[in-house]
Amino acid sequence: MLVDAFLELLNLWVLVAAVVGIASGVIIGAIPGLGPTMAIALLIPVTFSMDSIPAIILLLGVYQGAIFGGSISAVLLNVPGTPSSAATAIDGFAMARRGEGGRALRFALYASVAGNIFSCLVLMALAEPLARFALDFGPAEMALLMLFALLVIVLFGGGSKLDALIMVLVGACAGVVGLDPISGTPRFTFGSFAFDNGFQLIPVLIGLFAMSEVLLQAFDRDHDVSDAEVPPLKASVVRFVELWRMRITLLLSSVIGTFVGILPGIGSTVPAFMSYNLARSRSAAPESFGKGAPEGVAAPEAANNAVTGGALVPTLALGIPGDAVTAVILGAFMLHGLAPGPFLFRDHGLEVYAIFEALLLSSIPTVILGLLFFRVAIHVTRIQPRHLLPAITILAVFGAFSVNNSLFDVWVMLGAGVLGFLFRRSSFPLPPLLIGLILGAPFEQSLRQALLTSGGGYDIFFGSPITIGLAGLIALSLAISLALNLRKARA
Amino acid sequence: MKFTRRLSLALLGGMALFPSATLAQQDYPSRAITLVVPYGAGGTTDISARQIASMAEDLLGQPIVVENQPGASGTNAMRAVAGADPDGYTLIATTSSPSFVTPALRDVGYDTLQDLVPILNYSGPYHGVVVPGDSAYESLDALIEGAKSDAVTYGTAGAMGGAHLAFASVAKETGAKLQHVPFDGAAKATAAVLGGHVDAALVPAYRDLVQDGQLRLLGVLDGSNDPDFPDAPTLKEAGLAAEFPSIVGIMAPAGTDPEILAKLEAAFTEVASSEEFETFMTDLSQPVRIMSGADLARTIEDNLTAYREIAKDLGN
Repeated sequence: MLVDAFLELLNLWVLVAAVVGIASGVIIGAIPGLGPTMAIALLIPVTFSMDSIPAIILLLGVYQGAIFGGSISAVLLNVPGTPSSAATAIDGFAMARRGEGGRALRFALYASVAGNIFSCLVLMALAEPLARFALDFGPAEMALLMLFALLVIVLFGGGSKLDALIMVLVGACAGVVGLDPISGTPRFTFGSFAFDNGFQLIPVLIGLFAMSEVLLQAFDRDHDVSDAEVPPLKASVVRFVELWRMRITLLLSSVIGTFVGILPGIGSTVPAFMSYNLARSRSAAPESFGKGAPEGVAAPEAANNAVTGGALVPTLALGIPGDAVTAVILGAFMLHGLAPGPFLFRDHGLEVYAIFEALLLSSIPTVILGLLFFRVAIHVTRIQPRHLLPAITILAVFGAFSVNNSLFDVWVMLGAGVLGFLFRRSSFPLPPLLIGLILGAPFEQSLRQALLTSGGGYDIFFGSPITIGLAGLIALSLAISLALNLRKARA
Repeated sequence: MKFTRRLSLALLGGMALFPSATLAQQDYPSRAITLVVPYGAGGTTDISARQIASMAEDLLGQPIVVENQPGASGTNAMRAVAGADPDGYTLIATTSSPSFVTPALRDVGYDTLQDLVPILNYSGPYHGVVVPGDSAYESLDALIEGAKSDAVTYGTAGAMGGAHLAFASVAKETGAKLQHVPFDGAAKATAAVLGGHVDAALVPAYRDLVQDGQLRLLGVLDGSNDPDFPDAPTLKEAGLAAEFPSIVGIMAPAGTDPEILAKLEAAFTEVASSEEFETFMTDLSQPVRIMSGADLARTIEDNLTAYREIAKDLGN
C-alpha cells in the first residue's frame, strides 16, 4: 500500500503542486490578517480542474506554508502574521533586534518541519483510534482542559502572576461581548448590530501586537528618530548540534501541538504558548527567555505546526472539522471526490496514503523555499523604523478589514492598538490577554453545555477518567506553583 | 437564445452608440455582477455559490464576482444587500438562517420579504435527527416517549437556530422534556452525539456516519424525505407539527426591474438544472433542490410566521 501510494507521487504535477502550494502559503501567511483559511479558500477554485492528489497536496502545502509563514513577520517585524505565531514573536523579534534574525528564522523553520513530520507520522499511524479518543472529550472534559490551559498561562507564564491573571480576565471579559452562546441573546452590544459578532480574534491580535508597536515607537521621546541604529546582520548558521540539544523541547512541543490539534475548537495559538511556557520552565536558563532564546522560537513553532497533522485526524477519519481551516479543507476533499468520514480510508486508501507521504516529503521543498525566502526577507531588519512603521500601519488596517470585509473590524483593531499601547507602556504582559480572549468564550460555552447535559449537577466534572485526570492536573499545577512560591519566600 | 460572449459584446457595442435609460433592462448585464455570500470563503454555501456563479457567467455574458461578507449568522450581509441599489448588479446567495430564522427572533435591520426579492432556490442540506448507533431510541416516537419520563438532551449548531426552534415547538406540543444544548457549529454537535455527550443531535451532513452505523437517523426536519434515506420520516409524517425547511437560494434587493429578475431566474435555473451542476453538488454531498422565486418567497413567508409564533412561546 505504502509503495503503491508512493508511486502515485512520481508525477511532475505533484511536485509542481507542492512547490506552488508551499510558496504561496508562506507568502500569504506572512501578511498579517491573511491566515491559512483565507489562503486555502482563495486557492480552492484554482484546483477545480486538477487531479485529486495534486490538488489536495497543493492545498495542504498552503496550510503548512501559511502556518510557518506567519512566523516570518513575527520574527522580523514583531507583527504575527497568524495568531499562532504570536508566541514566536517574543523571542524571535528579540533575536532579530540583535541582528540574529536569520538564525531565528532558521530555528523557526527547522522546528516547524520537525513538528510537521511528527504530527504527520501520528496522522498516518493512528488516525482512526485517535479520532475515537477525541470523541471522548465532551463539554465537561473541554471545560476542564481550557481551565487547565488558562491556569498554566497565569501560573507558569513568568512575571507577576497577578498581572497575568488581570490580563486573562480582561481578555475573557472582551470575549463576553456578542451573542450569548447558549441563549442567543445579545450581550453588551449596546443595540448595535456590529457588536453581534463580538470582537474577532485577528483584528484584536493585529491591534494588540502590530499597531501598539507602531504607537510605542511613535511616542518614544528618547528615540533619536533620524538615526535609529540598525544592528549589523550576523551570520545565520544553525548547527545540527544546537537542534539536537533541544530535541526534548521539540518532541514535547510536537506532542502538545498534535494532541491539542486533535481536539476541536482550541486552535494553534494556545498550544504554541503552552509549549513556550513548558520550554521555559524546563530550561536551565529561564531568564534568557523573552530576551532572544532560540528555544523560545523553536518550541512554539514546533507546536503550531504539529497542530496541522492533529487537526486533520478528526477531519479525515470522521468528517468532523475542528476549526475554520479544516472545515475549508474538508470541502476541498469532498470536491475532489474524497469524502472524509468513516469510508475515506476504505474507499480511497491509496489516495490518502499518497497525500500523507507527500505531506512528509514536502519538508524538503519547505526547507529549500524557506531558506531562499529568508535571503530576501532578512533585509527587512535593515530598514529604518520610520520607513517601516507606515507600511506596518497600512498592513494592519488592510489585514483587519480583509477578515470579514468589515470596517467595524478596523475600528476594533485601532482600539486594541491603543489598549495594547497602554498595557505595554505600563508593562502588563499581552499574551495572557490573547489567551483569555481565545479561550474565554469557548470555556464559558463548554461549562454551560456540561451543566445543561448534567441537569445542573457538578458531578459531571468528576464523572469520567478524563475529567478526573484533568482535575488532578489542575490540582497538581496549583500545588507546584504554591510550593515554588513558598520555597522562594523562604530563600 | 444563448448569450455568447461575442454576441453580448456586439450588443454592448451597439448599446454604447445609443445610450438610453429605457433600454437599461435590455442591455443588462453590461458590467460585472456581485454575488454576496453571507458566510466565510470555503464553506459549502460559498463553494456552491462560486460554482453556480461561474456557470451562469457564460449565459449572462458578464463576470460574476463572489464576495464573502461573513458575520452575525449572515445577517450583516443580508442587511448590506437589502440596502444596495436595486439595479441587478448586487445579489446574495443566502440560506434559511438569515432569511426566516434570525429575523423572526429579533430586529436584524431588514425585512426579508419587504427589502429583498427571491430569484430561485437551488439547494438546501437536509437536517436529520440522529442518535448514536447503539442508542436505545429506535424511532422518533420512542425518543419523544422517552423524553416524557427522563430529560433527553439534543445538540444543534447553535442557539436559536432553525433546528433548535423546530424541536422547541415539538417539546411544547408533546410535553416532552427535550433539553437543548447549543454547540458552536454543526460539526461539534455531531462530534458530541458520536461521543455520547448528548442523546441526540439535529445536524446536516450525516450520510456516511449513518451508513457506517455510527449514527442512527430517526427522521428529517425538512418538509420532504432525504432521497438517500427515503425511510426516515419527516417530523410531519411522524405526527409532529413542526418542520425546518433548509433553503439555499439567490435574492436581489427589492425594487429590481422585473425583466432583470426574469433574466436572472432563467439563467440561474438553467444552470442549476444542468447535469454538470448536479455532479458537482453530489461530490459536495449537497442536494440540488430547485424552487422558483415565487415559491421561495412563499416558503419564507410561511416560515417567518411559524417561527415568530415559536419565538413568542420561547419568551423572546
